[in-house]
Amino acid sequence: MDARGSAQLIKEALKEAGIDFIGSLPDLKIAELVRAVEQEPAIKHIPLCREEEGIGICAGAYLTGKKTALIMQNGGFLNCCNALTTTSLQFEIPVLLLIYYAGDIGDRGFSTLGSVTEPVLQALGIRHYTPRRPEEIKKTMRGAQVLAQDSKRPVAVLLTKDVLGVEP
Amino acid sequence: MTTRYEYLEAIVPLAGDALVVATGGTIREWSALRPSDGNFKPRTLGLVSSIALGVALGLPHRKVLALDGDGAFLMNLCGLPTIAWQNPPNLIHLLFDNQCHEAAGGGVTATSTVADPVALARAAGYPHACWVRNPEELQREFAAAWKRNELSLIAAKVELGRPKNLPLLPYDEIENKYRFMRYIEATEKRAIVEPPR
Repeated sequence: MDARGSAQLIKEALKEAGIDFIGSLPDLKIAELVRAVEQEPAIKHIPLCREEEGIGICAGAYLTGKKTALIMQNGGFLNCCNALTTTSLQFEIPVLLLIYYAGDIGDRGFSTLGSVTEPVLQALGIRHYTPRRPEEIKKTMRGAQVLAQDSKRPVAVLLTKDVLGVEP
Repeated sequence: MTTRYEYLEAIVPLAGDALVVATGGTIREWSALRPSDGNFKPRTLGLVSSIALGVALGLPHRKVLALDGDGAFLMNLCGLPTIAWQNPPNLIHLLFDNQCHEAAGGGVTATSTVADPVALARAAGYPHACWVRNPEELQREFAAAWKRNELSLIAAKVELGRPKNLPLLPYDEIENKYRFMRYIEATEKRAIVEPPR
């Protein structure tokens, strides 16, 4: 599947999971996904300047009944750690985190970032899932959203190049 | 100079049932002046304005007030263009600038020297941003912002210090969240909190 097809698949999975409010900061590898979200009328899309503000914006929207997600690179996830701790976790506010997994197996240039991503998620107690094939996307998104709502915590889905349909 | 408490007193009669997101120091003063489950106290320094933006976007027909401090404001400068880009007409952003990190021991902030928060907000794209010099001016600008229904920042230099013996908030973050959501449910007459399954 190409990047555009994959972006549509992920966006449809988010919609089916009930997500209606998304903050994002792009990476080259998730540019198609951000574009697909931007063009989806059923989703309010907030382009961010820095990822941590997105945790705040999504928390505020959740208080009014929105179902929220953030799309970002794993470097941006690291930018969010304080807000995830003292807003999402401390107030028990769910948010679905869609994190492009730079520095994943076979990736060049980001191995340091890749090596700390899962340990930091684990340290924060944020459960995370990594679909490896496009056919796993829908089930993973729906399941992660159910888990986020039910546990009232952030839940992360790590997006790899294979799933995003982008060149290695 | 005037204290933040005196400025807050001036806007309480004008604030109606606005939803309020306020920094830690300010929320105790505000809650003493306007007790309400529609008051929310974040715990992440800087995120008052971003959380208020989320609330304002979620309830575009309700007035939302962000009560910010200079330390928090400066920490979340990158949030200003995002707020201005979304341009929520129902958000009034109030900045009480005591020029230091009062709650964190009093170290001075950049607004004590060269940084101008009103200029920063304007440059970020806020359609309205102004300084006020006394509570009467704040009342006037606040009423104008409310009526105009366009994103506005109103800033005041304030004296250090707060009234003694202000009560502590009697609940923790999770209860604050539920009270705030239940308050919205009650005033909007619709369910927000998902029942457990």
